[in-house]
Amino acid sequence: MSFFYNLKYFSREAAVSMVRNRILTIATVTTIAICIFIVGLALLITLNANNFIDRLESDLEIVVFLDNSLLDSQIKDIQSQIGEMPGIQSIAFVSKDESLSKLQRNLNTNDLNSLIGENPLPNTFKIKAVDAHQVQDLAIAMSNISGIYKINYGQGFVEKMFQVTVWVKNLSIALIIVLAFGAVFLVATSIRLAVFSRRKEIYLMRLIGATNWFIRWPFFLEGISMGTVGSLFAVLLLNICYRSILNNIPDITLFTLVQNSAVLVPLFVSLLIIGIVLGIAGTFISLNRFLKA
Amino acid sequence: MLVQFYNVSKIYPNGVKALDDVSIKINRGEFVFLMGHSGAGKSTFTKLLNREEIPSRGQIFINSHSIIRMKKSQIPIMRRSIGMIFQDFKLLENKTVFENVAFAMEVIGAKTKEIRPRVLDVLSMVGLIGKEKSFPGQLSGGEQQRIGIARALINRPVILIADEPTGNLDRETSIGIMDLLYDINRKGTTVIMATHALELVKVSRKRVIVLEKGKIISETNAGDLR
Ligand SMILES: Nc1ncnc2c1ncn2[C@@H]1O[C@H](COP(=O)(O)OP(=O)(O)OP(=O)(O)O)[C@@H](O)[C@H]1O
Ligand SMILES: [Mg+2]
Repeated sequence: MSFFYNLKYFSREAAVSMVRNRILTIATVTTIAICIFIVGLALLITLNANNFIDRLESDLEIVVFLDNSLLDSQIKDIQSQIGEMPGIQSIAFVSKDESLSKLQRNLNTNDLNSLIGENPLPNTFKIKAVDAHQVQDLAIAMSNISGIYKINYGQGFVEKMFQVTVWVKNLSIALIIVLAFGAVFLVATSIRLAVFSRRKEIYLMRLIGATNWFIRWPFFLEGISMGTVGSLFAVLLLNICYRSILNNIPDITLFTLVQNSAVLVPLFVSLLIIGIVLGIAGTFISLNRFLKA
Repeated sequence: MLVQFYNVSKIYPNGVKALDDVSIKINRGEFVFLMGHSGAGKSTFTKLLNREEIPSRGQIFINSHSIIRMKKSQIPIMRRSIGMIFQDFKLLENKTVFENVAFAMEVIGAKTKEIRPRVLDVLSMVGLIGKEKSFPGQLSGGEQQRIGIARALINRPVILIADEPTGNLDRETSIGIMDLLYDINRKGTTVIMATHALELVKVSRKRVIVLEKGKIISETNAGDLR
């Protein structure tokens, strides 16, 4: 194939062009690096935020407090009614005695009984939904069942949490789009200037009988190189920063960073690919304008 | 028939009519002079031949293929069979003599191994050996013209189009270049040369096409020119 056959020539031309316009090349590579770094940062933040939210969501449960007057058979009846509702993942009965002993354990005393006499705690069900988003609907449905005097599901908190999730996602997507446009624009400008500074040469090439692809390839290699080098810098820097955060802030009790390399490696590889794609896109835009006739 | 023009007119976007209803046939192996005063349309004629410009009316055939209706992908291939010596040289100032000539081989994807010996070959043909490493700006007008000639010859074109190849040269140098062109023609290349150097044309006994204000006003043999 003629591309591989001429690869040496194309690479040399691309390299010469980048060295000749080195200030612009450095500016473009830096911009791509900054762009990919911020995209990566946004992705890492999103990843960790989602991970955090996922964990919060999986902790979400509905606590149903039962009337103290209920017979065992009525409790069983309520349990099966709730169990039959669609979207219930699990339902666990926690008797008033269990709750009391748990409370005693937490308070580190043994004679709570003698202190308060009869156990004042209710019998409860702890329920988990398949989908955390359904918690509210399920809780409302359960409130119709008689024998239940109170339902807790983190009212207010749930709604707020989902709002924050959506907000974080939308904001990072918007930021990434803006940055990507910026990077593509800069690559396009850079390539356009490279084309402009060589317009005489390109005109002559065409008159001599060079094909359009032969003329385009060095510029594509230029764009691809700038994209690769820029995103490589960004990924390295991002990796160093992330590792040092991981090492220096070990166990924050509630919020732990994702360190699963099965997630991080594909993320860094995607960033590299995004950088290269930005380089190609920018070149494509500026090359489409010339070589028309 | 190698080159055919059928009722070709060229009107530039600014309204200048550079060629007016030109019809002409040129045979394979011919040597043809294109004469006329400044502004008569000689350069326009050569630019139409390699499709640098497109005629406003009429048809142009090379080797029986219309170069007007030709597919875009065929244009580079057509251009490779044409060697162009440009009136304004079109040399790349930031490339050496060697690189300027090698350029024409590189851009059509020639093998690196083949380029060096071939470049040295044509450079010796035009008498530029020893100047390979110079830049065009360091050379005289005649030497620059010869870089352009070497570049036009390097891909062994079927047709050589020379637009004022002796433009700013003294008599001595001009005769040297003419001898070179005759030599190339003898080896089988069709040569079309635009010039207004009547004294060169007169002694040549070649076919002469005379343009005036874009029209062909005579087609004769050089011996008949007064
Ligand atoms: N690109 C152009 N745009 C507009 N007008 C042009 C263009 N090129 C040439 N012309 C006009 O067309 C006419 C013919 O020009 P051309 O260059 O063909 O003449 P020529 O015979 O080569 O002249 P010379 O001997 O001075 O080189 C002239 O009047 C010129 O001004
Ligand atoms: Mg001219």
